[in-house]
Amino acid sequence: MSKRQVAMIIDLNKCIGCQTCTVACKTNWTSGEGQEGMWFNQVYTAPGYGTPKNWEKMGGGYKDGEPQPGVRPAQGDFGEGFEFNYKEALFSGAGNEALKPIGDEPTWGMNWDEDVGAGDYPNSYFFYIPRICNHCTKPACMEACPRGAIFKREEDGIVIINEDHCRGLRFCQSACPYKEIYYNHVTGHAQKCIFCLPRMEQGVATACSRQCPGRVRFLGFLDDEDGPIHKLVNVYKVALPLHPEYETQPNVFYIPPLSPEKFDDEGNPTGEDRIPLDYLESLFGPEAGPALEKIKAERAKKQAGQDSELMDTLISKNFLDLFGPFNKHPKEIEQIAVALEREPVYTPPEIEITHRNGNGGSSQ
Amino acid sequence: MRSIRVSAAADYAATTAPGWQQVPAETVELVPAPMEMQPNGFIQAQLGGREYGKTPLIEAQSVHDGDTLAVRLRWPSERPFNGGREGFPDGAAIAFPIRGEPALWSMGTDDEPVQFIQWRALKNEIRSVVAWGIGSSVPGTAVSEAVTAGWSQGHWTIVMLRTLAGGPEAATLVAGASTLIGFAVWNGTNEERAGLKAVSIDWTPLDIDA
Repeated sequence: MSKRQVAMIIDLNKCIGCQTCTVACKTNWTSGEGQEGMWFNQVYTAPGYGTPKNWEKMGGGYKDGEPQPGVRPAQGDFGEGFEFNYKEALFSGAGNEALKPIGDEPTWGMNWDEDVGAGDYPNSYFFYIPRICNHCTKPACMEACPRGAIFKREEDGIVIINEDHCRGLRFCQSACPYKEIYYNHVTGHAQKCIFCLPRMEQGVATACSRQCPGRVRFLGFLDDEDGPIHKLVNVYKVALPLHPEYETQPNVFYIPPLSPEKFDDEGNPTGEDRIPLDYLESLFGPEAGPALEKIKAERAKKQAGQDSELMDTLISKNFLDLFGPFNKHPKEIEQIAVALEREPVYTPPEIEITHRNGNGGSSQ
Repeated sequence: MRSIRVSAAADYAATTAPGWQQVPAETVELVPAPMEMQPNGFIQAQLGGREYGKTPLIEAQSVHDGDTLAVRLRWPSERPFNGGREGFPDGAAIAFPIRGEPALWSMGTDDEPVQFIQWRALKNEIRSVVAWGIGSSVPGTAVSEAVTAGWSQGHWTIVMLRTLAGGPEAATLVAGASTLIGFAVWNGTNEERAGLKAVSIDWTPLDIDA
């Protein structure tokens, strides 16, 4: 048990699925060799298969305190890293080459089933769920590693894989019920979200949080009674863990999504929630209903011109209030001394722009 | 088991070196590493009754020239598997006690560590490691370990070479003395790795010719 625990809250009412968090994370942490298909942060459409495909059916975690068998996801379940024909599509001048992946036709990838959702028109619905490693209080990955290569930091509860000890045995992949651990086949190590440890240690929020244009993510210590995390999780009880039944005690929490109203056959709103409560309970447990009722009640207060600390917190007019003690600007800290020598992903060739008239060409 | 003195162990480095035909082979029975040896409940839950460690036996031969010891191992394997991109490779290991006589299945103790020389079909790599108990292995003192390996007709055959001289984290072998040797085999096709393996449950005495 760590002495303190950092946590994240993700407000699903504000997430627009833009994947800015995903790209911020990718740019920071998974642009190395063997990491082409790795996304330490993903945003997927719910209801949906997610990534790895069908992860909620892959087992692991605990039941009544007992370890449960789990599937070890293959890279194909996550999806491969796609390479695109940028050169041909964007710079060949042909004008009729579509942008498409190179090589084998991909069959799955992160957010592959974007916006599919569920329900029948006009009462179809979907929402987005960003996911990272949950830095669980009871990490199944840590217990599963026979090498003791996974540890939970005492000072902040961040769960880390020590790659000096990891032998790529991948029992952690089977044990993690959230399937948030990847295997780097080049280095032979398991790899996962590190909660932007080098940033957090210097008081800078995680890249996924800081870059989010929707102000979706809150950061802080769970025991900081003045911070938004403690208020939303412990006081207002509107931030809930994803799949609490996995019993790993995640430290990423979610504000469940409010729902638009259903329409009847005449196109009139019925007052019923379009997102079924039992679906939300299947994700966030039995507290989903009370949490939504609380948010609705506080929203009504705000609409009536009354004060609502909860709504003010969720609206977060002050950007830096989201991050508790991790509110430093990256420019304020010393440049992190990590020599990340990266290959450029793609360098466009110098091209001549030809003004053409007639078939297939642009006159501009 | 006996390690026969020869003029040059290097002449035995190839799995097909003719000299091996003159060296008696010791057949050692292997058994699945006991479930109790699996270090945590997740690995036990993962198995869910699935069989592992079914390689039934290993044949072992050994020669040395006073400086270098060679061990030739041969065991049945339906098909060779180097693990590919995402699987687990076939592998084998020999073990020597560095001090004392710890139970082989325990992979050593705090006071009585065990040296393992491990081979993996992936990249045909070999390394010397030291362990003070289950799951504790880390790189140990190098003993100029080297390997050749080949698969044919339903069998892996490998030759491991090492110096007799050891070090703080590698067993020292002495010509004219006896030591102990243990064996393990991983069947990669069956996703065997770490404690999921076939093992000689106890040490085999190894008499090293003077």
